[in-house]
Amino acid sequence: MANQETQLVDNIIASRRAMLLGGGALAALALTSTAKAAITVSSYTDADILNFALNLEYLEANFYYLAAFGTTIDKPNAASMAAGGPSAGIGIGAGATTTGTAATIGIGGMVPFALPAVRAYATETAIEEGKHVTFLRTQLGGAAVAQPAIDVSPVAFTTVANAAGITGTFNPYLADAFFLIGAYIFEDVGVTAYHGAAPLLSTTTQGKAYLQAAASILAVEAYHAGLIRTTINALDPNNSSGYITLTQQVSALRASLSKAVAPTSPAYPAGTYGDDVPLTAGTTTYSLAGAAAVSATTIVDADQTNVIAFSRTTTQVLNIVTGGHAATAGTKAQGVFFPSGLNGTFA
Amino acid sequence: MDNPKTVLKSALSRRTFLAGAGTAAAAGLIAGCSDNSGAFTPTTSGVSDVDVLNFALNLEYLEAEFYLRAATGLGLTTADIGSNPGTVVGGAKVPSLSAAQQNVVNEIAYDEQQHVRALRATITAAGGTPVSRPNLDLTNSFAAVATVANTLTVSGAAPIPSGFSPFADFNSFLVGAFVFEDVGVTAYNGAAPLISTAGIAAGYLAAAAGILAVEAYHAAYVRTTLTANAYLMGTTAYPYLGFANRISAVRALLGGSNETALAGPGTAATTTPNATPSTVVASDTNALAYHRNTDQVLHIVYGTFSNTAGSTTPAAGVAKGGFFPNGLNGNITVTQS
Repeated sequence: MANQETQLVDNIIASRRAMLLGGGALAALALTSTAKAAITVSSYTDADILNFALNLEYLEANFYYLAAFGTTIDKPNAASMAAGGPSAGIGIGAGATTTGTAATIGIGGMVPFALPAVRAYATETAIEEGKHVTFLRTQLGGAAVAQPAIDVSPVAFTTVANAAGITGTFNPYLADAFFLIGAYIFEDVGVTAYHGAAPLLSTTTQGKAYLQAAASILAVEAYHAGLIRTTINALDPNNSSGYITLTQQVSALRASLSKAVAPTSPAYPAGTYGDDVPLTAGTTTYSLAGAAAVSATTIVDADQTNVIAFSRTTTQVLNIVTGGHAATAGTKAQGVFFPSGLNGTFA
Repeated sequence: MDNPKTVLKSALSRRTFLAGAGTAAAAGLIAGCSDNSGAFTPTTSGVSDVDVLNFALNLEYLEAEFYLRAATGLGLTTADIGSNPGTVVGGAKVPSLSAAQQNVVNEIAYDEQQHVRALRATITAAGGTPVSRPNLDLTNSFAAVATVANTLTVSGAAPIPSGFSPFADFNSFLVGAFVFEDVGVTAYNGAAPLISTAGIAAGYLAAAAGILAVEAYHAAYVRTTLTANAYLMGTTAYPYLGFANRISAVRALLGGSNETALAGPGTAATTTPNATPSTVVASDTNALAYHRNTDQVLHIVYGTFSNTAGSTTPAAGVAKGGFFPNGLNGNITVTQS
């Protein structure tokens, strides 16, 4: 395995050199220090919850489509169709309307992947996130919200990266490692969002059916997150390239925007922040039954006592994806990936 | 008054019978799944939340013992296995792990150990009694699965060598872990809608969904690592991806399909990126993860369709076998279909 890992690292050495690392404090975004956010919508339906999820799927699908195929989800191309994507554009309008406003991509485009496996992962994930968009739209029918203004350009990612303390321009479409860190920004958020939303669904027959679907998408988001974290960990198991540090910076930002406070007991691993556990280069220490303390990775993003994945409220998720602009109750959160906010009740 | 087992049987039979029915909306969702023989109806009559949690606890005992022994050679301590624990056959520290490999095995072992503890505490808090660890077999079970796997036609997969042990080396460990992880995902996913309204209020659904996510993280680790190695070496030089696909075929056979085989780069290693997707995620045509009912999970972990030798269709009455030589403990232990 050492040889394989060495080979993997060698393959991306060029991209590593280009990766701009930085320390720095959290800055720029509208962070607030108020208490943990909570749901501020007093009345909502199952459709409202599904529409909230649909907004997030629009975002994820556009990012992965752009990275894997060089296009947004509404504009299929030869690459997306060759990978099994639909020949017609994925619908982005309200209800059954297919056309709408495409995501902003700036200078973003297909990642010039060096690693065949990472290209395959990006392709798989793009197709799956696209299916989630279509699935949710189909379930919602005429109630489906249109795709809001979405910005998956390097400008939006740079704003987030800088807030996390990663200095310089951050372009997730530049090379394999940049793509993986870009994906890292989203995937665990999807897990926590679906986890938080699942118990909000009604207990009617329809609500239970939605719950099954939501749990199934939750699992897929966790598969994706596990895929991304496993791959980053395999590329840089000892943090010699600094990728582990990048995940820690992103996780710290997410936890900060989520306004979650790390418990002091039990002690969380170094580099762990509230409701977000980054990769730790095997420096985490666990107590295993019958054995002395052992070192361990943190492929799983979960609480450290019961090892149950974190959940976030809609407001916490909104604050993350808009870069801290869900600070004022009753005011639509707008910023970063959603420059005009989300569509629907939870916004 | 029927005895509890009879009530349970009728409840589960009804659930299975009703799979695919429901309102138009529910039917629409179900029709959207390519493999939905495992669909639950929302009713929870006859099965309590504690029954469901104890069912999960049985599976967590199995996973925890597997990973803990692989990591350290030692299993759960007496504090975590109940007052009347069964025995565990087999399991040993996987030799010659790199530090990076050992760290991951340690992590998953810890995660599953904590799931055992969390479920036991949750069941107790719910007013129930956590079942003790049942008898577990980590030796004959894997060998039997491998034997069945080799009888199946699996494209591009070499036969699993005789005497297969998941504790022999890291790659064999991955194949052993593959046996469990996607099963855990499908089992939790199937169980989530069974939880009662009161159970949802008590947080059981959130806990189950959270564990579901963790099992999917684990499954992704195993599936990603098998895929990455196959890309580097090709599926001939790295036959373990094919071995895993044989395991997947066994699970599909016993567990109502609900499987996605791993896609490799072909027989040769791939050096040039192409647009062929991987299949790290096990999901249906809508990219929804699969779910299984308790019968399907039981058939997989018991390793058999029926008490009738040679039967090739799922049958009621299977109460033990495979990884659970004396069956699960609790109220969900015998297949109803």
